[in-house]
Amino acid sequence: MIFLWLLSPPLAAALAGLALPVRPARLVNVVLALVPAGAAVVLWQRALAGVPTVWPAGAFLRADALSTILALCIAFVGALVAWFGPGAGREDGYQPAQIRRFTALSNVFTFTMLGAVVVNNVGVMWVAIEATTIVSALLIPLVMSKASVEASWKYIVICSVGIALAFVGTVLAYFDFVNLAGPLGGALNWTVLLAAAPRLHADVIRLAFVFLLIGYGTKAGLSPMHTWLPDAHAEAPAPLSAMMSGTLLAVALYAIARWKMVVDAAGQEAFANGLLLTIGLLTVAIATFSLVLQRSFKRMLAYSSIEHTGLTCLGLALGPLGIFAALLHLVNHSVAKSTAFVLAGRVQHRYHTTEFTRVTGLLATMPQTAAAFAAGLVALLGLPPFGLFVSELALFRAGFATGHPWATGVVLTLVVIAFVSILGHLAGMLYGPPSEGVSHGEPDRWMLLPVLIPVAILLVLGLSLPSSLSGLLARGVEVFGR
Amino acid sequence: MRLFAQLSALGSSAMLLLALIPLWRHTVRAYARAFTWQSLTLAGLTALTAYFSGDAELYAVAALLLGLKVVVIPRLLARMDRRFGSEIQPYLNATTSVLTAGVLVLFAYIVAEPLLLASRLPTRGGIPLALGLIFVSLLIIVSRKRALTQVIGFLMLENGIALLAVLAAYGVPLVVEIGVFMDALMGFLVMQIFVYQIHETFESLDVEQLSRLKD
Repeated sequence: MIFLWLLSPPLAAALAGLALPVRPARLVNVVLALVPAGAAVVLWQRALAGVPTVWPAGAFLRADALSTILALCIAFVGALVAWFGPGAGREDGYQPAQIRRFTALSNVFTFTMLGAVVVNNVGVMWVAIEATTIVSALLIPLVMSKASVEASWKYIVICSVGIALAFVGTVLAYFDFVNLAGPLGGALNWTVLLAAAPRLHADVIRLAFVFLLIGYGTKAGLSPMHTWLPDAHAEAPAPLSAMMSGTLLAVALYAIARWKMVVDAAGQEAFANGLLLTIGLLTVAIATFSLVLQRSFKRMLAYSSIEHTGLTCLGLALGPLGIFAALLHLVNHSVAKSTAFVLAGRVQHRYHTTEFTRVTGLLATMPQTAAAFAAGLVALLGLPPFGLFVSELALFRAGFATGHPWATGVVLTLVVIAFVSILGHLAGMLYGPPSEGVSHGEPDRWMLLPVLIPVAILLVLGLSLPSSLSGLLARGVEVFGR
Repeated sequence: MRLFAQLSALGSSAMLLLALIPLWRHTVRAYARAFTWQSLTLAGLTALTAYFSGDAELYAVAALLLGLKVVVIPRLLARMDRRFGSEIQPYLNATTSVLTAGVLVLFAYIVAEPLLLASRLPTRGGIPLALGLIFVSLLIIVSRKRALTQVIGFLMLENGIALLAVLAAYGVPLVVEIGVFMDALMGFLVMQIFVYQIHETFESLDVEQLSRLKD
């Protein structure tokens, strides 16, 4: 029953977006976006007790603590985007037809992501994740231009190929399972797969994991398959970038984490960890050096997402403490990056550009937006008192504790380089003489108020981890079989 | 079962060979025709597997394949072909392409070794060919310059995966299969929209022009 409250509101909101005029549709959209958030909180309460929620008897849908963490992030970002989406500001210049299209497709996008994290069947999860690509690709060229068409073409081709490879991995694992146990009903269910894992062939499951990691890694923005990401995030409407950065990457990481559990259970933990460490390190390195070179703030945010995805990926390979840190980091990044992107959208609409050289004096032109944007970026830099400071610290501790001093040292250095370059860019945007021809003031200041919620969340996570959340994360780590 | 093994190996080889055609032909029509024949072979193999394994669900899958990939998609491809014309000189010439494909098939045999050791199905002989088809399709996608020919490469990649599923496990469960079909159809339609959009905004389907976005 709870799944109905989780999954149906986005579909209803999508229909409302198509059927109703823009203004009432916006109201309906915001109200309906809060329902999945409530449902996710209920799932949270149940997950704390350590009992996965299952529906129906055949367990087609199943939410354990890990699913719940993801569902919370998706529902949060969905609500944020419902509020700050196209048509929210008075100056974003979207046509009613575009607003309608965004409302409909972004809600379907939310639905596919929520579906991906609560289905029990890995095949159906794959179908849902592939559907996220198709739906979101349609939204990137909301404003048609050469750049946005190019970005969406790259996105759909690279991600479809990647996700196809993930299906190869799924088929290989299924093949090994059927080979041992025969074509059982529910053979692709997590629970069944996990129970059978110790008997799977080591070679086959390793091969399958390589395909799965490349496949879902493409979608998660792990290097060297990340090439679609900066273009797509920079050219997409900012609220869509918020959803892609804040949750889509996390959903892809979720798929990798789920498969890692199967590989672990098959006795190939060292192999999985080695791959994740290598690819995570490469990702953080490439993202950091690209960050230094950026000229546009949306691309900067995109590369920062790649960096944080890499960090989360590293955490998954660093034992129980690392997994705890990775899950916390995932939540933190989801909140901080989605906020930063929606605010970046406001800046873009005011300045009509995303280039650093032409965006100056933000504190003078849009004081409230600038302050919130700065808070978001400072959080993303991993500075106290915000949540990412805690999760990154835990990540480094896990790195040293599991005997990877060199790798951790390198990552630490890279994070500092990224820190310096982002801080430099941020200072350039905030201060200086305001760019010519840019109007001053915030006509819709009240609109901006809800942004205090994510800032407050990041502050709370940075100052003291509430026991309800740490309990949920600990249950999440338990799902990994620790 | 001997006959089944031989027929499935024959069908898989035919599918791989059909994937080589785009490596030296440059007209979209040749690509589309190779894809249609490949899909027909895949549908036939699926039906054959249904017959020998007694798994009635696979007949449904074969029928879906026939409808979607032998009838609907080739029609849409033909319509786009009439509007947009052919592949220009790709990044790799014919000789290099075919040689690379040969290396990829060899590589597929190496990768498939653990699978062959693990499998007891009569169809296992075709597994390396299915992986070979997947790798060759990837080669087609990365070495073509036109959006439309990349799409056909992607369709062949999907065929390769479907072949792998049939040979290795007699297909995935039906609920997943139906989901995959829906995604394949939606994905193709969306890609088709983009092909039209690229044509409109760039007045060409040459993806080399899609290189404005750089760091």
